[in-house]
This record gives sequence, C-alpha cells and structure tokens, in this order.
Amino acid sequence: MAEFREALEEFSRRFKNLILSREMVTGIPVYHIGKESLPEIALYLIHHPNLAGTLSMEWAADLRPMKESYRIYTLFSLMKKGFWMILTLDISGKERLYPSITPRIHGAKWYEREIRDMFGLIADGHPDLRRLVRHEHWPKGTHPLKKDFTWNTTLEQKDGTYLYRHIEGEGVFEVPVGPIHAGIIEPGHFRFSVAGEPIMQLEIRLFWKHRGIEKLFENLHLLNGVPLAEKVSGDTTYGHSLCYCQAVESLLALDVPLRAQYLRSLFLEMERLHNHLGDIGAICNDAAYALALAHCGRMKEQVMQLNDRLAGHRFLRGVNRIGGVTLDLEEAQLEGIVSVMSEIEKDFRELSNILFVNASLTDRLETTGLLKERTARDHGAVGVVARASNIDRDVRRDHPFAAYGKLNIKIPVFQYGDVRARVRVRIEETFESLSIIQRICQELPGGSVTVDSNKEASPGEWSLSAVEGWRGEILYFVMAGENGMIHRCKVRDPSFVNWPALQYAVLGNIVPDFPVINKSFNLSYSGNDL
Amino acid sequence: MFRIIKKSLRKGIVTGTYPESGMPAPEISDPLKKKMKLFKRSLTIREVDTGSCNGCEMEMNALINSIYDAERFGIQIAASPRHADALVVTGPVTVNMQSALKNVYRMTPDPKVVVALGDCAMNCGMFKGCYAVTGPVHKHIPVDLSIPGCPPRPSEILESLRTLLGQK
Repeated sequence: MAEFREALEEFSRRFKNLILSREMVTGIPVYHIGKESLPEIALYLIHHPNLAGTLSMEWAADLRPMKESYRIYTLFSLMKKGFWMILTLDISGKERLYPSITPRIHGAKWYEREIRDMFGLIADGHPDLRRLVRHEHWPKGTHPLKKDFTWNTTLEQKDGTYLYRHIEGEGVFEVPVGPIHAGIIEPGHFRFSVAGEPIMQLEIRLFWKHRGIEKLFENLHLLNGVPLAEKVSGDTTYGHSLCYCQAVESLLALDVPLRAQYLRSLFLEMERLHNHLGDIGAICNDAAYALALAHCGRMKEQVMQLNDRLAGHRFLRGVNRIGGVTLDLEEAQLEGIVSVMSEIEKDFRELSNILFVNASLTDRLETTGLLKERTARDHGAVGVVARASNIDRDVRRDHPFAAYGKLNIKIPVFQYGDVRARVRVRIEETFESLSIIQRICQELPGGSVTVDSNKEASPGEWSLSAVEGWRGEILYFVMAGENGMIHRCKVRDPSFVNWPALQYAVLGNIVPDFPVINKSFNLSYSGNDL
Repeated sequence: MFRIIKKSLRKGIVTGTYPESGMPAPEISDPLKKKMKLFKRSLTIREVDTGSCNGCEMEMNALINSIYDAERFGIQIAASPRHADALVVTGPVTVNMQSALKNVYRMTPDPKVVVALGDCAMNCGMFKGCYAVTGPVHKHIPVDLSIPGCPPRPSEILESLRTLLGQK
C-alpha cells in the first residue's frame, strides 16, 4: 500500500504540467488532461510496476447543452484491481480528433471504434478504423449518441461492403458462419480462416442486435431506467438492473437499507447459480456428454422455478428499484430457499464427482481453447474468463457492493486458461453461490427493504458503478441531465471485453472445437451490441 | 458407471414437473388450422433472434430440457431454416437484422408457419420507434401466431405450440 501511495504521488508530480485539474467523484480520482497527453499518461499508468493499471473502460459523452464539447473518459483499474482512476479530456469546436491509445494498449481497440461510430470522434492513429456498430448499410454521418441526432430517426438503407481481414496462401480458405446460427442462440457472424482443420484466424463481427439502448436511456428519468437496464441482457437481468440502481443511488445520495442489500446479494447469487448450472451442462454437452446437460438443465430449472415463486418472474424482473428492492421475503420463504439450495448442493456434488472422473470428457476440455494470461491481461478480460486465466479479479471483493463487504466470499482462480479451467471456475463458484445464499438466509438482518429519495441530481453530475454479474464485471456510467433526466448512460457488459479475447483463444484449435470454446466463454450478444 | 446409473435411478422421471401455464390459449384462425393439418402431429422449429434480450432464447432452450421436453409432443428444433416447418422469431427487428430475417423467411420451404415470440416481437416493447429498430416482425414477414410475455414462461410457450398443433 505504501508503495502504491508513493507511486500515486510520483505520478502527480511527474505529470504536474499536463494535468489541468483534479477532483474526487464518489471516491474516484478524476484527472482532467489536455488531449495530446493521453497516450503518455495512460502508458505510464499501465507500465509503472507499483500502479500496474489495466484499462477498464473508455467512453465518450456529448456535453451539449451544458457545454459545447465532447468529453472522452478513460477508466483504469490500478494495482491490478482495487483502485479506480479516470482520465478525462475535452474535444471542442470543429475538432473531431483525439490521440488513440490502441497502438500501445490493446484493450482500447473496440472502445475507440465504438466512440467513432456513436459520436463521430476519431481516434487518431488507431490501426483499424472500420465501422463496428454501424453496419455497412448505415448512411454516412449517422452518429446516434450525438445530441443533435433524434432518437426516432428513420435510417436510410445504403449500399456498402464490409471488408474482412483475409489470409492468403495455398490451401487457405474461409468458413463464414452466421449471423443466424444452428441451435437456439443469438445472431453474430464468425469468419474462420483455416488451412486444413486448425483455425489460423477468427474474425468476429457483431452488433447485429444493436437496439439503441444507450440512446433510449437518454429519454428516461433517472428513476425510470430500471426496466430498460433489465433488458440489456436477459440472462443478466438482475446484474444489470442492480448496477444501474447503484449508479443512480450514488447520484441521489441514497443509503440502501441493510436488509435490501442482503436481498440484492441473494438474488444476484441466484442469477449466478442458474446461469452457471446451465453453462456447465451446455459445455459438457458440446463435448458430447449429454448426461451433464440433462442433470444441469434440471437443476437450473429448479432455481428458475424458485425465482418464479419468490418474485413472480423467472429472470427476477421487477425486483430491483431505486433505493432497494420491491419485495421482502418471509421466514417461510427463506426456509424454502435453504431447503432447495441444500438439495441442489447434494445433487450437484454428485454430478461434479461424476464429471471429474470422466477421462473422455477431460480429454476434450483440457488444453482446448487456451487463453494465455498475457493475452487476457492485454484485453482487460474480466469475470469467469479472467479467473480461469490466472487473473484474480472480482468486483465483489475489489469494490464491495450490496452485502458482499460482510460476506467474506471465496474467489476461485485457475491458471491454465483452457476450457476445463473455465468449467472448474464455474463449478467452484456454483458451490460458493449455494453457500452464500444459505448464509444470507440465516443472517438476513431486519428492517425495511426500500428507501425514497428527496434529492435531485444537478445536470452534469455523474457516477460510476460496478457489479460482478455471473459473466463478470458490469459497469454503468450515469450522468444526470436537466430535470432529473438521464444525460448519458454508458453500459459496459463483460462480453464487450471478452469477445475480442475469444478471437485469440481459438487459434490453433480445430473448427469443430469452436462451439465448446465459445460456450465456455458464453458471452452475451445483446449485452455487447446494446 | 454405477454412480451414473444410481444417480439417474434415484432421480426418477422429472418430465412434467412444472406449474401449469395460467395463460389463456391463443385463438387459432380457420385458415391457420387448415395449414397446420399438413404438418400432422409434428413441428420442426427454427428459432430466429432478431434483437431480443436473450430471455426468450433461454426459455426456448428450456423447452428442450428434461422438465419440459417438448419433443414428447412432436416439437423439434432444426439447425437450419431449410429443415424447418415453423420459424419462431424473437425480438424487435433491428436495422442490422432485417435483411437476415427476410433471407431466412425465403429459405424456409413452403408451407411454413411464423410464430412471433415475446412482447418485443409482437410490438417492439420498449424499443418502439427507436432509430435502430424497424420492427415488429409482422411488418417484415407474415406472422401466424403471437405468444405474449416478457419473456413467456416455457410452460406458456409449450401450451401455445400445442394449441397450434391441435393437441389441446
């Protein structure tokens, strides 16, 4: 810790002339800098051994009508996890360029392409400025998140082509897959370049499902955003709505009652539980081990039916609200949860014992889809994927929210980065979730479950919140506008950073192994496309 | 091996252990009834996602687990639209997905049935009017049956599909 403080002081001293102003927003240091100095400062944060930063998010906001400029925000996690720092820079007048950090910081590549598509601000020096969100048929000059673009504009259809990266040579051919895939799954396009069976290159093209969520947020009052946040990614309904609620609560200076915080942790773990159970079964099924799918599908259904009984919704929609939760659990319901959980725990332990002694399953999963620790770090990978590649990151411990500060949870980390490691992370987390839920049911404190606010957020105020959803770190940046409306809401699903990493995990594997590798990542298309 | 058999025996049969759907059965029009006669007692479905939040996909996936087991009613999932009798479409149709949806419709052999699954597919839900959305589904392709819900429960989807098949 002492070295970290020293490093921070050294940082302030070193860049004294480049930092224009400094403030603290909800405990996060924010440095406003001149735009030319962004690459230099960002690289320093990443390379300094005692700061050891990783890029967590890069996004922009159109500050009109408050101020005639755009602002670019770059969020870093320092010391590999625990501390946040934000660098901001302004772009005003006719200027549309800002220096790109992608040439040296790989994790920024999609963020900067997204900023270009949504705001028309161009990262100068970015090696790949193809369109990301806007597909080829979008007219030139449409940048939906600019304030002068109305939310209900009808887009014209233009002709255009998207250029894929090609590998050429004898025996090299391409396998295009999608956007509509076999099976019940969301749309996305995968283009494999192969010579024989091994994959030489995979290019993933997404954003088929772009629904304009961030623009729709700007039509809503701060207090009314929860139903939209719930629809960012259906399987992470609770994680997203919780993250949104926390951001708004910190804007409105709301203190959520302790009982509501425990209940939030409980529901978040329920969501983690049913998704992990489903994933473990589906990964084994993709390695042709259908028994696991049958048992896991059954246990997953048990949890979903329990959700339905408790909240009236299988995905826990409508449970969160700004200031707490909408429902309280009675003693009998808590006992019901404990009994279902202990039943699943016994059931799942038997199944995991069966899985671990199965040599043919292990043979398929081990060394498949290797994501090296270095690659994962370069992409800023989060969640299950990161923890399977020896990166010890979990928001529940690093930035405790809800009741996690009091729950003392175990976080499994595995080194190998293959499909089996990702399965093992999920298995360990499943047991941990089962135990957390039972602990919460026993320790649940009394009191009310919701609190109302009488504070208004003034225009330009913002806050940032993070939640460890079952996939990984969800981030929300919410900025207030006039009359309590949302001025800007940046949503970052963990899928957005893990998708590019998947392109590297498949290299050298055979095409028939792609489904199992993809399933072991199990990323959201809708959460990524927004 | 013995562990696997023991586990399966002890669990027994779980199919059908779900609460009954409380949703009223959908009205099936006479022309649709006539068209459905061609499929006799089976229906092969191709699921197409045109911008849903993936809640509907999860519930469609739940249909083939051992609890709901839609195959016992002759409902199967096909990997390609060319093998399908019915398209189940979810989500408001996004700008980027509209041509893919029309292609899929063209690829599916006639006669075919189109089911709009979930509120977004029926009326775009919260995304109505947004620049990125061009739906709902019936604006692009003819829809025969709609199943409301956000998302509809698997039991509700199953009941609606069975009504469509004339099993109810």
